[in-house]
Amino acid sequence: MSKNAITALAGIVVALLAGLAILWAQGYPALPSYAALFSYSLFSKFAIVSTLNKATPLVLTGLSAAVGFGSNCVNLGQPGQFLIGAMAVAAFGIACDLPTPVMIPLAIMVALAAGALWAGIAAGLRRRFNMDEFITTLMLNFIADYFTLYLISGPMWDRTTYSPMTKMTNPGSWLPMWDGLSAAFVVSCVAFVITWVIWDRSKLGYEWRVMGQNSAFARVGGCRNEANFTRAMLLSGALAGLAGGLMIMGGMQHRFVKGMGANYAWDGVMIAIVAANGMVPTGLYALFFAAIQTGAMGMELETAVPSEFALVLQAIIVLFVVASRESTRLLINRWAAKLRARAAAGGAQDIGKGEGGERRASGH
Amino acid sequence: MHLVIEMLRSSVLAATPVLLAGLGGTYTYYANVFNIAMEGMMLIGAFTAVAGSYLAGSWVVGTLAGMVGGVVAALVFAVFAVYLKTDEFVTGTAINMLALGGTTYALRQMFRVKGAFMSPMIRAIPRIRIPLIGALPGIGPVASGHPFLVYVTLALAIVIEWHMFRTRYGLRLRAAGEDPRAVDSVGVSSDRIRAQAILISGALCGLAGVYLSLGYVTLFAENMSNGRGWIALAVIILTRGRPLGLLTMSLVFGFFDGLGLSLQSTRIPPQFTQMVPYIATIVALYLYSREKKRVSAGQAGQAG
Repeated sequence: MSKNAITALAGIVVALLAGLAILWAQGYPALPSYAALFSYSLFSKFAIVSTLNKATPLVLTGLSAAVGFGSNCVNLGQPGQFLIGAMAVAAFGIACDLPTPVMIPLAIMVALAAGALWAGIAAGLRRRFNMDEFITTLMLNFIADYFTLYLISGPMWDRTTYSPMTKMTNPGSWLPMWDGLSAAFVVSCVAFVITWVIWDRSKLGYEWRVMGQNSAFARVGGCRNEANFTRAMLLSGALAGLAGGLMIMGGMQHRFVKGMGANYAWDGVMIAIVAANGMVPTGLYALFFAAIQTGAMGMELETAVPSEFALVLQAIIVLFVVASRESTRLLINRWAAKLRARAAAGGAQDIGKGEGGERRASGH
Repeated sequence: MHLVIEMLRSSVLAATPVLLAGLGGTYTYYANVFNIAMEGMMLIGAFTAVAGSYLAGSWVVGTLAGMVGGVVAALVFAVFAVYLKTDEFVTGTAINMLALGGTTYALRQMFRVKGAFMSPMIRAIPRIRIPLIGALPGIGPVASGHPFLVYVTLALAIVIEWHMFRTRYGLRLRAAGEDPRAVDSVGVSSDRIRAQAILISGALCGLAGVYLSLGYVTLFAENMSNGRGWIALAVIILTRGRPLGLLTMSLVFGFFDGLGLSLQSTRIPPQFTQMVPYIATIVALYLYSREKKRVSAGQAGQAG
């Protein structure tokens, strides 16, 4: 654990330095930009509240990707599941008008179910026809995107507005705000704890993790991989759907607006990757990425660096953290091999057992 | 009749970027590199092509810049995936994100716009009228008058088929994919071949980007590759990387893409017609897996 933390920190430091070099090369005041990045995301109450609100969807999409990848389900459908979850909650919130205590739990269930349903399509295609889920989920993203666009610019369009969006949902489904902090953050914390318990403390989660490490071993060990695949996909989709649903229930707009969700889903994929599919690291990186995104707005204000720089910085962080993790492992393996070779040179043992060179299935 | 010609014409147009990227992916497919970064390489190529064409006022510079953009993205991929042994899926995803974020950022940083950058200063790649065929009724509009990259792409499909299956380099590349240790043991570095395959795919994906941003439209829009790199990946899986198979499959996808465009004149909402190529991909995967199942069931039957 601590070894991982050290390599991760090393990767983050190198990535931040690389980001600094990019800013400097483009003639921006690099250090003041970074100072603004962190002061606007961490060093005031308002900054922290903004960061936590930003982290709400990121935690969930991150968990969604982590549960998927960690169980060897290549669910790249978070963007679609996110949109379908959001749309389902918007439709529910417009159609039903019940008191808050009934409405909010129901809306959460709707979001979970809608996301799970969209992921379930890909899971079903995989189970029934053995179709690669990573392509079907990607294609379903586009289908979800155009489908929701159709709804908000056609049947569900709020005619009083000039750009495509739905009507506002009924206030019963709105989550409260405390000093600017949306209760959506609490919901995502609860979801985090539940997912963590399932993943790290339950038999089901254990089976998923074994399946993610080595599916043949899981099968030999008596796990039902097919059923576990579907379950992991459904949970993964449900989490992404919840992220979308909370965008409608929390915040200020309470309606499905064109282009909502932007990059949250893909950010989640990156967060899971950089966190190596661990639940706690996923939560931490979600907070970290949220801080970068929040701070980037402040950076634009102070030193005129376009806030899109956050996207660049995130991708660089992912590359460097993962590379430092893998190359450290490589170095350690090499070093261990050298030690073994030395020991073997003393006694004549066999050292010919190479590392298996296992490759990710590339679809053929 | 007019509609048929129009649809065939748009099939060719829509097939070209998928085919170009797919041809690039052929190299990585046979080198056994899981190249999920094609989407990002294409997007970066589309951006650098527009930037080059705009700044230099020349489509030649734009085309070269697009290829360089793709190659640079591929270089990052190769350094991380081949030499630092980072997982290919992870590296590819990060590069796609870097491409999306980087081009959006650069769009604002260099051109001070959000969303899309258009300018009369961006020079498009030239179109070619084929002398005799162009004059033929029916065939002329389908075969002639396209941006020259369309013809380059068709030629490349044949050249790459030859390169992959009839040359020593192709043999080594396929061997490096099948069994890297065997290749290493005869003194050829499989890592180098894999890196080269990635760079070639980067150049071709960059060219696909050039086609997107300097071909029929001359502009750069955020995320303008819009999944074509992923469709190319699906096409590669469906055709097992055979360049001539890619040619056929890309035309099929082009047809569906074009079908979507033609349906826009009907009363079907445009959002549904835009879904067509993505649904077609899923359907094609379904047919492919059914076929595979049937073949493997047949083999099992023979064995038993």
